[in-house]
Amino acid sequence: MDQLLTPKKLITTMAAALAVLAVVMFACSLVGSEKISLRAVFDGPGVQAAANPDYEIFVRFRLPRIVLACLVGAALACSGVVFQALLRNPLADPYILGISSGAGLGVMIAVISGLSWTLWGRSPIAVFAFAGALGTVWLVWFIGRLTGKFHVTGLLLAGVVVNAFFSAVIMFLTSIAKSEQVHSTIFWLMGNMVEEDFLVLWIGTGCVVGGIVAMFYISPQLNALSFGDEDARSMGINIARTRTVAFAVAAGITAVAVSMSGLIGFVGLVVPHAVRLVFGPDHRRLLPLSGILGAIFLIIADTLARTVIAPAQLPVGVVTAIVGGPVFLVLLVKHSRNVGGFK
Amino acid sequence: MNKWRWLLLIITCWMAAGFALSSARQGQESQAPALPSRADRIVSMAPDLTEILFALGLDEEITGVTQYSDYPAAAKEKPNVGSFWQPNIEAVVAAKPTLVIVLGSPQQKNLAERLKRIGYKTLTVNLETVNDLFKAMAEIGTATGRQHQADELIGSVREKLKALSSLVGDEAKVKVLWVVQREPLRVAGRDTFVNELIELAGGENAIGPTVHKYPPIGAEQVIISGPEVIIEPDMGQKDPAAQRDAALRYWSRFKNVPAVTNGRIYVIPGGAVSRLGPRLYEATETIARCLRPRLFEN
Repeated sequence: MDQLLTPKKLITTMAAALAVLAVVMFACSLVGSEKISLRAVFDGPGVQAAANPDYEIFVRFRLPRIVLACLVGAALACSGVVFQALLRNPLADPYILGISSGAGLGVMIAVISGLSWTLWGRSPIAVFAFAGALGTVWLVWFIGRLTGKFHVTGLLLAGVVVNAFFSAVIMFLTSIAKSEQVHSTIFWLMGNMVEEDFLVLWIGTGCVVGGIVAMFYISPQLNALSFGDEDARSMGINIARTRTVAFAVAAGITAVAVSMSGLIGFVGLVVPHAVRLVFGPDHRRLLPLSGILGAIFLIIADTLARTVIAPAQLPVGVVTAIVGGPVFLVLLVKHSRNVGGFK
Repeated sequence: MNKWRWLLLIITCWMAAGFALSSARQGQESQAPALPSRADRIVSMAPDLTEILFALGLDEEITGVTQYSDYPAAAKEKPNVGSFWQPNIEAVVAAKPTLVIVLGSPQQKNLAERLKRIGYKTLTVNLETVNDLFKAMAEIGTATGRQHQADELIGSVREKLKALSSLVGDEAKVKVLWVVQREPLRVAGRDTFVNELIELAGGENAIGPTVHKYPPIGAEQVIISGPEVIIEPDMGQKDPAAQRDAALRYWSRFKNVPAVTNGRIYVIPGGAVSRLGPRLYEATETIARCLRPRLFEN
């Protein structure tokens, strides 16, 4: 771990990780509550609608859901990396600055007001979640700015308080709403994975992959930032610009992920730490590897969520917490000498 | 800054390509031929819908039901397609349905949308009130080619209800507190089908209009509402006797509530009274027996 990172080493690790991702995607697409045969899938959709259930299940439901899990997992893990670096706080995750409660509040408002229009195939729930998430991050960022030029503590406290306040508003709305309306938001708050439209996945891929590339561009600056402002400045880094870009991109892809899948906890916290423990704290490697591992982790978690209590389904957030917690503790004990990667 | 421009350019192209591809695909999909209209493989997405289908004599045609579809007993043998709240769309498709019947709740409508998009035929019915139930039975009858059976079913339920109401006559209405959950206390409000069942059985809800359908209430409201009868449907507990004991213990603290003083606390089987279905009359009669036991003594 202590040798220098060369481009060749980075590319080899990435290729290996991508290969594992491909294998996991393929394997998980064959697992599900219904047994399907690949041969029937290759027969195509048939002349009539609904003629070949195997094809329909594989192409219409399973593949889109696996692609969605891949996108959301990668987005959450990468933005977790960035938030941990920016806030220099090991407890940071993509939701720490209020994205979760902001998105949750947006969803509650959308559900209670009973809107039913669609915007490019997106329901009001997704649109409101996205707007709520970004709006809240902007609010927290704004309050944080009021406490000082870039005061990490002020920002964190603003995030915690806004989170608590919006959660209280959510609870208030929950207690005055009709029961069936509330029910439909509960699943959303614990992670709601369904197959998405082609266009949604395509746009989501563009946003998430683009965001990860942008964060990769600034990963050397993130390395410098994690040593502290003074050191970063002495290395000639434009701290304010790096922070603004990193924040905007991380919050943006988290909001995209949240609007597609609801609130899925633990991925953005555990995956970056796990990768950091095993591969070290260099962001040029930490960031892309966290993205790939986050994707693998969420695909497996969602496959479990689909199948463990089949034909019913678990919310995927339950699985990420139950599986992620113990795995992370094992890593922590085994590699604890690397924990110092966080200064 | 050059690499940033490239990134922006590539993302923009990617998005544009997405919109172009997606509109091309939509053009293709609308050409798929429709399904045959015969409803010979039906999936029911709620236990009450399952009951209606069985009551219409569609035993053979039902190819999938949701979890907790436990009535009639044959429903338990049918393939399970997930729960009402979390339907498993893979299982629905695997059942090769020619008709999927869903309720009007947000999740169910969402499922119907997803199924329609890929060419499955769905029927959405509302089951909120007793009138909805009669309408739903007629609609399902029409969609499945069982109009005749549906008309008969509706007629017989209406007739029996009429007989019940003439049996009760114009006696004073009995004030009923319908307990959904004891700790914390939650009761049926006015805007529920349970309220309609109580009224059909010759009672009235002790609780006035509320914001919630099933409002949480405090001890004060229990005393003010002064119910003459307290009814608790058992929710599939193994031991109804134990629930009755627990209920008597719990309610004994409300000494000046008429239902408690007169020992009019009933724990009734939850099956028929907890959903709107073809057992509407049986449910109403069960309640009527609690309200006026002497009418049914012979």
